[in-house]
Amino acid sequence: MKKTALVLALSCAWGVATNTRAQSTDEKLRILQQEIDELKAQVKSAPQGSAGQQAGGGAGLQGSATTISGYGEFNYNNYKSDTRPTQADLRRFVFGIHHRFDDRLTFHSEVEFEHAVVSKDDEGEAELEQAWVNYKFSDAVNVKGGLFLIPLGILNETHEPPTYYGVERNEVETRIIPTTWRELGVGMHGLLGGSGLRYDVGVTTGFDTGKLDDPSTGVRSAHQEGQLANAHDLSVYGALNYRSRGLLVGGGVFTGNTGQNGASNPALKGVSARLALWDVHAQYKVGGLELQAVYAAGTLGDAEQLNAALGAPGAPVPKSMKGAYVQAAYHLYKRDKLDFAPFVRLEGIDIRQQEDPANGLFQDPNNHERITTAGFNFWVHPQVVLKADVQRYRTDSTKDRFDLGVGYMF
Amino acid sequence: MIRARLLALVLGLCAAAQALGEVYQTPEAFVAEVFGTVPAPRVLWLSREVQAGAAAILDHPPANLRQRYWSDGAKSVWILEEIGKEELITAGFVISQGRIDHVRVLAYRESRGQEVRDPSFLKQFAGASLANRDRLDRGIDGISGATLSVHAMERMARLALYFERRSRE
Repeated sequence: MKKTALVLALSCAWGVATNTRAQSTDEKLRILQQEIDELKAQVKSAPQGSAGQQAGGGAGLQGSATTISGYGEFNYNNYKSDTRPTQADLRRFVFGIHHRFDDRLTFHSEVEFEHAVVSKDDEGEAELEQAWVNYKFSDAVNVKGGLFLIPLGILNETHEPPTYYGVERNEVETRIIPTTWRELGVGMHGLLGGSGLRYDVGVTTGFDTGKLDDPSTGVRSAHQEGQLANAHDLSVYGALNYRSRGLLVGGGVFTGNTGQNGASNPALKGVSARLALWDVHAQYKVGGLELQAVYAAGTLGDAEQLNAALGAPGAPVPKSMKGAYVQAAYHLYKRDKLDFAPFVRLEGIDIRQQEDPANGLFQDPNNHERITTAGFNFWVHPQVVLKADVQRYRTDSTKDRFDLGVGYMF
Repeated sequence: MIRARLLALVLGLCAAAQALGEVYQTPEAFVAEVFGTVPAPRVLWLSREVQAGAAAILDHPPANLRQRYWSDGAKSVWILEEIGKEELITAGFVISQGRIDHVRVLAYRESRGQEVRDPSFLKQFAGASLANRDRLDRGIDGISGATLSVHAMERMARLALYFERRSRE
């Protein structure tokens, strides 16, 4: 009897609890549905807002005042000659911080680490590649100031590894145009008339030939990179580039005195040593075919006085330089994010030095060079690329090598 | 006197340039241009499944749970935003019968890469539809120096087509 009463009591209690739970769940569902209906009604009746508000309800990222970008590459070079070591190198690791102060005023920067380790006993370098402020009046008129890239060639401004062919950067835009080449200064840039024609003009710091110590790379070793740059002699630049679907045609010029009133070498006081660098370039993409060509040239004045001042045995200064390359690539396989494109590039470099036989200064034969590069880029994602190529140097065959590389950007 | 005139000219140019701004067309104006009489906005709620599809296209998860759009039954307009290199690009996509009718860049905020507004570039999207794995059914020729902005435009085109398809289900 007692057992029956107990079972009945438990059954009643269970039934009440179940009923209460069911009611509670139904109630919650009803409230949730009501909230969803109210939200939907609010969305439908919401006024149309600004561009940002409209898309803010979309699936894109919400805008942030500060953004981070980056790129980098790690390379493997296997030389045919035993005179050069086979090496793997974290060539560069770059991150950029960008900030929008308001609708028109922005800040852009890139910090670069080269060769993985930076210390006084290592090869690595840490450097600011860019740090500049831009004020955008409109697409047609931008004013900028700071440390920024000089718009010569194709590679100097667009140098992220997934954007170019070959494990190593091409020689013309390394030895004639000293990529990655930046100067401190002010400039204006913009699109003319809403077309694809972009102009760049400005006044910047220039080279200091008192610091020139490696004529095999043209004037590269004399660029100052914004590091306590001697600024007695400033330089000017100008560039025009037309871009459209698959097409780029353009050119630029940079010129200025480089003696810097003898700031880093007193013997150059009063020596102008005028440098002029210029280039023309083109890129055309149609279907799977990509064609690209660059011609760059330059002159350096007062070469004899520079030779006398610098007095480096066996290293006469360059008085003129020129180089060109043509490149063709074809996208053989493109599916989803995968993209495979073999390429070939033919390059020529001619750096003429101011010889002075009486003082043992002779032209370096390696400054007249022909390079053939053939290989492929394999993008596993539009922003991540695997590369492989072979390079043949006609003059300095100790540089003949096989290269592998991985590059990325974001 | 010459300096004063030069200064006045520069200030005048700057003022004129400032008036142009970086928002080329407001979404309201774009929608009105497409439809004439603007229909009431609709909303596509991004279910988990839709979010997963959007994330596969964008390579990052969508930031919101709903997407506003406009439709008159025959065509629909989608206003989307995506980061190019550093800044958001705002673009309007008009879709009809599962294909892009036309595309316009409504706002471009970076100091370089505005060439993605070029009509010959945008014309490539006309007639595009989604193929396997929600890729575009055609290759898009890029613009030198604006690689990341071109990629962003491609992602938005795919997303607009994907959203439009899901809105019809």
